[in-house]
Amino acid sequence: MKTTWKDIAPVPTSQEFLDIVLSRTQRRLPTQIRAGFQITRIRAFYIRKVKYTSETFSEKISAILDGFPRLADIHPFHKDLLNTLYDADHFRIALGQLNTAKGLMETVARDYVRLIKYGQSLFQCKQLKRAALGRMATICKRLKDPLVYLEQVRQHLGRLPAIDPNTRTLLICGYPNVGKSSFLRNISRADVDVQPYAFTTKSLFVGHFDYKMLRFQAIDTPGILDHPLEEMNTIEMQSITAIAHLRSAILYFMDLSEQCGYSVQAQMALFQSIKPLFANKLVFIVVNKIDIMKPEDLDAETQAKLQELLKMGNVELLQLSCTTTEGLMNVRNAVCDRLLAERNAQKLKAGTNASGEITGRLGDVLRRIHVAQPIGGILREPFIPDAALNKMKFDKDDPNRPKLMRDIEEENGGAGVFNINLHDNYLLENDEWKYDKIPETFNGKNVYDFIDPDIEAKLAALEEEESRLEAEGHYDNAEEEELGDAEEEDIAYKAELIREKRQLIRNENKMRKSLKNRALIPRSKKAIELSKLEAGLEKAGYDTTTITARARSLSRQSRGRTRADTEDAGADGEAMDVDAAPSERLRRSLSVARNRSQSTNRRDDGVTDEKSRTKADKMAKLGQKKMNRMARQGEADRHQTASIPKWLVAGKRSMGTTRSR
Amino acid sequence: MQAREIPTNPAFPPTQPEDPDRFVKTHKTNTRVGVFSTLTNAYALVAVGASENFYSIFEAELQDVIPICHCTIAGTRIIGRLTAGNRNGLLVPTSTTDQELQHLRNSIPDGVKIQRIEERLSALGNVICANDHVALVHPDLERETEEIIADVLGVEVFRQTIADNVLTGSYMSLSNQGGLVHPKTSIQDQDELSSLLQVPLVAGSVNRGSAVVGAGMVVNDWMAVTGLDTTATELSVIESVFKLGEGMGPGAISGANRETMVESFY
Repeated sequence: MKTTWKDIAPVPTSQEFLDIVLSRTQRRLPTQIRAGFQITRIRAFYIRKVKYTSETFSEKISAILDGFPRLADIHPFHKDLLNTLYDADHFRIALGQLNTAKGLMETVARDYVRLIKYGQSLFQCKQLKRAALGRMATICKRLKDPLVYLEQVRQHLGRLPAIDPNTRTLLICGYPNVGKSSFLRNISRADVDVQPYAFTTKSLFVGHFDYKMLRFQAIDTPGILDHPLEEMNTIEMQSITAIAHLRSAILYFMDLSEQCGYSVQAQMALFQSIKPLFANKLVFIVVNKIDIMKPEDLDAETQAKLQELLKMGNVELLQLSCTTTEGLMNVRNAVCDRLLAERNAQKLKAGTNASGEITGRLGDVLRRIHVAQPIGGILREPFIPDAALNKMKFDKDDPNRPKLMRDIEEENGGAGVFNINLHDNYLLENDEWKYDKIPETFNGKNVYDFIDPDIEAKLAALEEEESRLEAEGHYDNAEEEELGDAEEEDIAYKAELIREKRQLIRNENKMRKSLKNRALIPRSKKAIELSKLEAGLEKAGYDTTTITARARSLSRQSRGRTRADTEDAGADGEAMDVDAAPSERLRRSLSVARNRSQSTNRRDDGVTDEKSRTKADKMAKLGQKKMNRMARQGEADRHQTASIPKWLVAGKRSMGTTRSR
Repeated sequence: MQAREIPTNPAFPPTQPEDPDRFVKTHKTNTRVGVFSTLTNAYALVAVGASENFYSIFEAELQDVIPICHCTIAGTRIIGRLTAGNRNGLLVPTSTTDQELQHLRNSIPDGVKIQRIEERLSALGNVICANDHVALVHPDLERETEEIIADVLGVEVFRQTIADNVLTGSYMSLSNQGGLVHPKTSIQDQDELSSLLQVPLVAGSVNRGSAVVGAGMVVNDWMAVTGLDTTATELSVIESVFKLGEGMGPGAISGANRETMVESFY
């Protein structure tokens, strides 16, 4: 439930309100209208204006109405407090007026929209709109008083203390000047004004303090005078509201020394008269100023009366002095303890059903209070090193405190700059080993796979075995093994040569095979020079004579047409007139082809003569002329560049007026 | 990461005068202390972070007492959830790299065994909850793992659930002096677990009502570190059940602090 209303939006005055709405209408809607427009358009234009204005009004008024608390929805304490401070009727009427105004404006808008629908001209529509807006403005102006009132209420509401009606509360009340405010000052951090005159405190003040790990609120109320409820003023009524509605422990302050200006009798009478408000609450009578007068010092009659008061109301008497702070904390703690116990009892009662079972959330809570103690006698020994027990408590304000990594980091440039060295805290046998570099992999192997914690022991065992073998003369006949060495060396040398050669061939082929942007040509189509072949084979140690001879013999015979054929053809040309033998004629008719096709002038292809060719060229040039002039790429190029209207780029203009509206 | 020395949550300032033996710390931006650190009676592991503030919280209390080791597990900072350990040993998941393992070995005393476990449930901190005598583990843990836990940590191993949650390490934090379990654990379960572990147990929360107590705090026999959000009431429960600070005992929870607890939780 809401306990503070600090976030209500400011309420404008009626004039501001009107300005806000009208200027918004002006800003948000189109403003250009001409008599020449279609009448439907003109009507729509003005209808929109009227509607928009009324909508804005409704929206703003609704926002104000929603911002304020609804008296029916808030806690009775706050309701009564608001009633006391602002007069609930007044408050309701103000909100009601706003609501009515909202309805009126909507009606006005509806009526005038209906009229504008029948408007015959721009002028007529405009006048109707003016009338509509004018009537709305009049309604708004009539809201002047409620708006001013609501703004005041808003400002005051925002400054009210945040009183939570349901939390642990100590309520301090009593006659004026008995020391209520000084008590609050003493037990909490609240900065309450304390002055030696009555009614210093004119409204509720809240202070908070902690006790038993819980947050308590203490409420200081204005002093109350002993007169009927109807005669009480606003200041006193706030106290009464708080006493009546808050679930709290009530501390009724009394001043037996009568320095406050009210007799003890009067103070007891006040207690009696406001007693009906204390029903179902914890009540304490707190005697203040015991440095001046203690209850024991009272005369017998008053003391008897006081005792009677205590007995009747089932009230506890507590004593303190705010000036000497004597008994102050005792009072606070006693009250808090009682309050806690009381609230606890109520909660347990509320969480227990008729048959005595604990239900709901209370069960969860009790589960958390239960401490499960082990059954069975094993004692789990704690292991606390002596260093921990003897360690000095770290105090960050101590100038001689041990230096932490944080301090080192600050000295070295702060977070993000400073880098810790993870090796610093290594616990190794020898401190020099700390920063040794160990590779992650070595010769392609993961080093850590080969780490053996027992390596030292194993090495020692090996060395021992070695020395034992040496001592036994195990290595004495080692020379015998060296006999075969020369032979082996030779093999190894040759093998090395072979390997080297292979590698060279491989490299060369690799170089050759890399295409370097050339086409892939099958081996069979590739011409290999004979010299290369010979060189290659000779290098490889093969005899090349036969293969050279074979290659020569092959290359000597030319492929295709022989010379004899061409000679024949030449002879034919000369012996044209001579009838050839029938066999010869047959051969010719079958397979005589020209050596080379006849050369033609391609320029004259497709035209009858040189002249027509020139003409055709001219025509072609003419055809391309336009294309070239327009800088087209070809016939199909239809590209349109962005056109810049002349009036946009030319003429006189000052800065920033090139907008084309 | 930033950290503060004393539990000065603005809403819950310390109500008692500062007790010199009050070791409970809170941690500012990072409320999940148990995720980024592991604390035992023999060593502490702290994640490598952007700044040294988190490390220095531990350093302030543990410098020259036990070694504190900056580390990562499988390159991550969530070491508290990936490792499980006690005074006798440390278990790390199979994803731990060789270098990280070697770094741990170099930084942690030789008396502490370190073992990398091949286990499908690799967040060992979530599935194992151990003190120096007993370990409660996830019911689905492999048998070999169970044996390794018993060997390396030197504890009796029990397969258990906490408030019907299988993640024992997440929902419980345990020291040799006491234990804090999931706030919804039934009284019967608490009693059973307590008899099993032979330490007093309380159902409670950390970090303003968070049920994952294992992730919200780390504890050993003489100190605890909790998230900054932890309320004063929660701190008092932790101090009482783990017997931290002077004159604190589990009895305070159902005794002196009972009313406070009802008030703040109900």
